[in-house]
Amino acid sequence: MRNKYSKDTFVLYSIGFLGLAATLFLFVKEQTPEWKNYQKEFIAYVDNHLGPERSAGIETGIHQLWVKDLNRVDRCVTCHIGYNWEGLENAPHPFRTHPRKIFEHHPVEEYGCTICHGGQGFALTEREAHGFIEDWHEPLLGRELEQLYRITDRNVLLQINCNTCHRYDRQTPGADYINLAKDVVREKNCRACHQINERGGVLGPDLTAAGEKPPEQKDFSRVGRPMTAFNWHLAHYNDPRMITPESLMPSFGFTYRERVALTMLTLSWRDVDLPVRYYPQTTEVLADRPTPEEIERERMMREGEGAFFVEQQCFLCHSVNVFNVFAATDIAPDLSRSAENVRRRLGISVEQFLKNPIGTMAAVLGTQISLTDEEKVRAAELLEQANEKYYELQRSAELNNQ
Amino acid sequence: MADDTVKTTPVTTENGKKFLWSFQPKSGKDAGESIVRNFLLHWFPAKVAERSLSWSYSFYLGTITFALFLILVITGIVLMFLYVPSVERAYQSVKDIENVVSFGWFIRAMHRNATHLMVIFIFLHMVRVFLTAGYKNGLGSGQLRPVNWIIGVVLLLVTLFLAFTGYLLPWDQLAFWAVTVGTDIARTIPLIGDEVRYILIGGHEIDQNTLIRFYVLHCFFLPLLTVILIVYHFWRIRKDGGLASYDTVVNAQDKIREKNGGGKKTYSLLGITKGRTVEVETTTRNEESITVNSVPNLIRRVGLVMLATFVFVAVLSLFLHAPLEEPANPDITPNPAKAPWYFLWLQELVTITTFNLFGITFDGGFIGGVLIPGVLLVFLCVWPFMDKSSKETTGVWFTKDRWRQNLVFILICFAIILLTIIGTYMRGPFWEFYLPWESWPDLPGIL
Amino acid sequence: MKLFRREFLNKLGLFSIIALFAGQLYAWVRSLFPNVTYGRARRVRVGHPDAIPDGITFLRDQRLYVFRERNEFYAISAVCTHLGCTVNQVSLTRPRTVEIRGEQKEIRTEFHCPCHGSRFYGEGTNFAGPAPRSLPWVHLEIAPEDGSLIADLDRTVERNTKLIV
Repeated sequence: MRNKYSKDTFVLYSIGFLGLAATLFLFVKEQTPEWKNYQKEFIAYVDNHLGPERSAGIETGIHQLWVKDLNRVDRCVTCHIGYNWEGLENAPHPFRTHPRKIFEHHPVEEYGCTICHGGQGFALTEREAHGFIEDWHEPLLGRELEQLYRITDRNVLLQINCNTCHRYDRQTPGADYINLAKDVVREKNCRACHQINERGGVLGPDLTAAGEKPPEQKDFSRVGRPMTAFNWHLAHYNDPRMITPESLMPSFGFTYRERVALTMLTLSWRDVDLPVRYYPQTTEVLADRPTPEEIERERMMREGEGAFFVEQQCFLCHSVNVFNVFAATDIAPDLSRSAENVRRRLGISVEQFLKNPIGTMAAVLGTQISLTDEEKVRAAELLEQANEKYYELQRSAELNNQ
Repeated sequence: MADDTVKTTPVTTENGKKFLWSFQPKSGKDAGESIVRNFLLHWFPAKVAERSLSWSYSFYLGTITFALFLILVITGIVLMFLYVPSVERAYQSVKDIENVVSFGWFIRAMHRNATHLMVIFIFLHMVRVFLTAGYKNGLGSGQLRPVNWIIGVVLLLVTLFLAFTGYLLPWDQLAFWAVTVGTDIARTIPLIGDEVRYILIGGHEIDQNTLIRFYVLHCFFLPLLTVILIVYHFWRIRKDGGLASYDTVVNAQDKIREKNGGGKKTYSLLGITKGRTVEVETTTRNEESITVNSVPNLIRRVGLVMLATFVFVAVLSLFLHAPLEEPANPDITPNPAKAPWYFLWLQELVTITTFNLFGITFDGGFIGGVLIPGVLLVFLCVWPFMDKSSKETTGVWFTKDRWRQNLVFILICFAIILLTIIGTYMRGPFWEFYLPWESWPDLPGIL
Repeated sequence: MKLFRREFLNKLGLFSIIALFAGQLYAWVRSLFPNVTYGRARRVRVGHPDAIPDGITFLRDQRLYVFRERNEFYAISAVCTHLGCTVNQVSLTRPRTVEIRGEQKEIRTEFHCPCHGSRFYGEGTNFAGPAPRSLPWVHLEIAPEDGSLIADLDRTVERNTKLIV
């Protein structure tokens, strides 16, 4: 039935068509993200420079490093796939290999990328990932910012993040600007007026969490562009009273390099909530190290007649008195007379026992301590010697008593 | 109907009825069957007044609003699989939706755009119903249009609350501080303000307690409430005889018949027993000249509008993405901190009603945040009962009888829109007033 | 002719609408298939082949035993096939010869499960206890980026498949 409403059909179908076009556009947009291009180029680059065998194994798709303990997920490696590749040390970014040395103590699976470099780990486009956008306040600590602040050395600004964890180091290898700043703090005795980590004077503000202070709480009326906390500190370290007229802080005549270093140090003093094992000082402070006496005693044991029983770890449970080998506990019998004891109780030699142990020794020799046949023979020899020595000592003791 | 013979087709049941209902009915009976045998379509009447179909009467604003609600439910369900309502994980899960989930950015954009449009269109729908006096009972008996109007007002409030609870979920700076501002306005309610805020937030500070209760409200309780209200709202429309425009048409028919010398019917609409609507009367009086089959005419139009709404939201979402600011930080207040745009008129109202006069400080929070909106709400609800204009004005745009109330209503609407515009574009840091072309001062960053 | 065109346009229009909804439905459903997972890594770096000692290395987090015999590498999952406990390695004080699938083999190591007593020979075959199957051999490969050994925990290989480096 065609009536005046039948024109609706045409409109309906036109809208449907438009919707279909929009859906197709959506699919195209979804299938062509920025990172796919980078990955394609990477495969081509590796193909050309390193050969097709190595490019064959490259996996495409979204890659991420999820560091649960630091609550970070870093997708930088989706474009920067080459970060761990051998042979791409001179490749253009984003394909270049990451310097390897830092990975020895900072394996990338446990740290991710952004904790050192800044930027936005969630993102999958260059602009958002490098963080130079309105809604992300942790920009990439790299060349752009170094150019902005006229820093001519490379790999400077990311030392701010080094010091977030390495704060309590006296000096940190590889963080030259931070080390310089710490030297200055010591030499100029900033603590005379400022508290830092609960020590210091009260003439100036407490600097322990100086990096946390929101930039809105600073006075920028006499600071030039850019209007950033970094710039504020640069200006302030140059001439405190020009920035804050009421200040008592004198001008120290710092060089530009020193000012940059001090600014970086100040901004690195932030409240962080890290799992304990990430602090470099943990291995020192929390280590359960033996005392000097304990070390000396073990050295003596290791260099004496009973060295074998120390090296093979028998001494963990067994003392061997006659050889001056002492176990920490009494859970196992002293081995000095074990040769005769085994013979008497089990009717076999100690060498036979070691080759066919029973009871606890069966478990120990099966899992914890592995002895080759030669070692078992040696052990038996030594135990026979120990047994003899036992009686010698006894005899000489009796002689002395008489 | 003229053609009552049943056509047998290859697909028939035993007694000859067609197995499937048809979008291209061959007869009136066919058309009626299509309606009656279909679960989704049976809300529509078999025949509907042509005037109700008109674009220029209702602009299908209610249909659009409903379509937007459906879009929100569908995209919302998908998002529920992807979002995590925990303060530690919420932000990351939204970032993942934006960056890593296939089509995630699109689904989220559709959800957010549909929300804003729904707030706009539910408002426009309300304006249309007011200006056409659709809230009034007409010539039928047993009509309860004023009640349906109140249900509509409740739907408006529930929609706003749905939008507000959803706003918090991304747990970014925008969300956190918008909800801070919003719940602080609740605090200004006299006597119970603090209690209201305490229950709303689930504690003293906005934290996990707030997030989970807003999440449950947003995903379960409020949508359920909306559905129940919508179901009643639709049912009530049928019970009341359809769109209000129908009432006057029937009346006009009566007048024409009188003029042509036909006697007035011995039974009049006003004398019928309770429960029989205008529409029932019309069908028994066989008014072919003013009705058409719902299938396909009305169905097609409604389908067109719903599809157009969907496509519009989809196309919009291809280009307008949902924003996400930095993670929520209770220690840093953004400057300025604004409520979501549909509450900005309230925030602006609070500002301009806070002033000093003769040494007394007038609490804008109360006047602008509670008193004025409260009074407006009350008037909105009771106005149908206070409207004394004649029944002929029901379902007609801009009648002379109602010009005064229409004018006042329009002025209030414009005032709200103006306040919203000011709040959005002319309030800068520290809530200072800036003309739209004046630039706001730069705010400092860290690096 | 006009009727034909109208019919055709009708069909096209209907098709557009159906295709539109099919496409959108695909998008909604596709979004529920994760592109990334948060969990333990499935492709695990074991280390550079040179750095792996001869014998058996136990990777605790990945629940994997990695074997090196001179320049041959293979890996066996440490997840007991009974109910999923991690099996312990037991070095036999004396190697013994057993028959496995018709062949005589000398074994020096066994795996014993501490939960319900299942036992496996060093090459994975179960011989005692409730375990229904052998311990699977896990796929090993050399990573193209830096030549280190990678274990793919999601891929198993045939028994006695060894990687020669």
